Amino acid sequence: MTPTLESLATCLQGLVPSVLYTCSKDGVPNAAYLSHVDYVDPRHVALSFQFFNTSRRNIAENPQAVVLVTDPDTGQGWNLRLRFVRSETEGPLFDRMHLRIEAIASYSGLKGIFKLRAADVYEVLGIEADVVQVGTVPEACGTRRAPDPVFTLTALQDFNARIHRAESLDALVDSILEGLDAIYGFGHSMILVPSEEPGVLVTLASRGYAEGGTGAEVRVGEGICGLVAEARKPIRISGVMRGLLYAYAAQGEAGTPGPIRPRIALPGLPNPGSQLGIPLLVRGELVGVLCLESETPYRFHEEDKVAIELLGSYLAVAMQNMQLVESAADAAERAPTTPDAGDGVCPEAPAGTRHDVVFYAAEETVLVDGEYLIRGLPAKILWRVLSERAATGRAEFTNRELRLDRTLNLPEWRDNLESRLLLLRRRLEQKCPDIRLVPLRRGRFAVHVAGELTLVERR
Amino acid sequence: MIDTALASFLQGSVSIHVGTRNERLEPSGTPATAARVEDDGRHLVVFVPAAAAPRIVPNLEANGHAAVVFVRPIDEKACQVKGTFTGVRSARDDERPLIERQWGAFLGALEHIGVGRALVQSWLTWPAVAVGLRVTAIFDQTPGKNAGAPLV
Repeated sequence: MTPTLESLATCLQGLVPSVLYTCSKDGVPNAAYLSHVDYVDPRHVALSFQFFNTSRRNIAENPQAVVLVTDPDTGQGWNLRLRFVRSETEGPLFDRMHLRIEAIASYSGLKGIFKLRAADVYEVLGIEADVVQVGTVPEACGTRRAPDPVFTLTALQDFNARIHRAESLDALVDSILEGLDAIYGFGHSMILVPSEEPGVLVTLASRGYAEGGTGAEVRVGEGICGLVAEARKPIRISGVMRGLLYAYAAQGEAGTPGPIRPRIALPGLPNPGSQLGIPLLVRGELVGVLCLESETPYRFHEEDKVAIELLGSYLAVAMQNMQLVESAADAAERAPTTPDAGDGVCPEAPAGTRHDVVFYAAEETVLVDGEYLIRGLPAKILWRVLSERAATGRAEFTNRELRLDRTLNLPEWRDNLESRLLLLRRRLEQKCPDIRLVPLRRGRFAVHVAGELTLVERR
Repeated sequence: MIDTALASFLQGSVSIHVGTRNERLEPSGTPATAARVEDDGRHLVVFVPAAAAPRIVPNLEANGHAAVVFVRPIDEKACQVKGTFTGVRSARDDERPLIERQWGAFLGALEHIGVGRALVQSWLTWPAVAVGLRVTAIFDQTPGKNAGAPLV
């Protein structure tokens, strides 16, 4: 049975390198390995044109080619007989191929070394099973792998129920990541949200990593998450290791730059096999980025990508709604004006426990005991409440009073205060559990401190 | 033409593919499993699973042109050998250990980039044919600015 090109789309992930055979007008054959083959439509594929080489010259003279691709599930090789049709240097196809190339280059710290000159579109004239690269499941030849059974209506119901049980942004992001793990089996995941600083994403929650990484930042356009945010399109990479090696080979060993060290390391597997990043969009507005990783080189199948994309739009609405609900509730709260003892119970700290909290006003950064804690709006909020507590003894605060505090300079529209408070709370849990922000009820929280604090502001 | 270092690369943990063409200049190729550089450094024997012989041998017999590409998965180092067909025969039993050794090294390299042996366990390696080539040119094919440059 001859398969359709559509059924072979999964073979174009490039887990096993594809091979392109061409021939010059003088009759000299050429064989070359390819970095990217892309599915265009049921009759066309696109090959990435990055370097001027013999294959490209041959195609200009003689448009006939054969490309060997390999099914990453069965190992079956397929020879696609091709005829060159056109080169595209802009448009959705070019953008998609460019994004995929940039994603792997950016992940390897070599962003910009590859220039996609064109997406070369070929008509597929015929498809033939390779007689050497024989698949492990002969009866599956040409038929697409059955959709992953995890994406069932029952699973969706379960996921939906978890999300609906969440009563705060805090609970919501956790329930999303827990659900992706427990229901769908995606054990390594993170959610990043736009920071108040333009062009920066910050990690709000993660699951499946030794280091939580809450507060880790990435610039829009950098790495998988940053590129997803920039392009507002999903990015899926299989065979990350091969992509990295290809990038390093192209760069050459000398002068290979290392990745920029962020203040807090972004959560990540030491050796990811595959990655999937999904933009969380509501009417075109970026609410966040969901990134999944796996140690398996080909973990995210086409069905997974489509299903997670669908979930992503649902999660984006849920996250935005939760923030709007919390903002609305905040408006009704009045700021406490008198000192109180706090509703919660501060953990007992060992006698003599003391922490030095330093706020660098110019950098809007807080260090605790000489170690970086957080920066930006969460840092200013922490400094604001700790200073107030020290001056007046007040331990309870409302989101509303933070919104009205001009020194914090929150935007009037969609300030994302809830996500900043959540970020701050989680960073404190990780780095300095003696200082806690304890949610009391919607729009109100208490500052609990075990031991003594020394507060120093430096300008 | 092929020095010791290059011979070591060509006979190491590399992926090998042979490209040919017919009289209508239609390209055609096949994966190979191993290669042996002859002592003179000017001839190469490429071992191709016998099942694939009908795909390339008629072309080689008709016009003699061959292109053999080698890539090492662990660092993407690659080169292409252009050659002229000198003959084909069945691979001998005493050549099988060489084929299995090189194939095993290649599978190890594939594992390094995350492609497990289970995926390629049913790829054919034996019986094989030995395709003889006289080397006419060698080009660097490692991705990057030197791709396409003559190596020797």
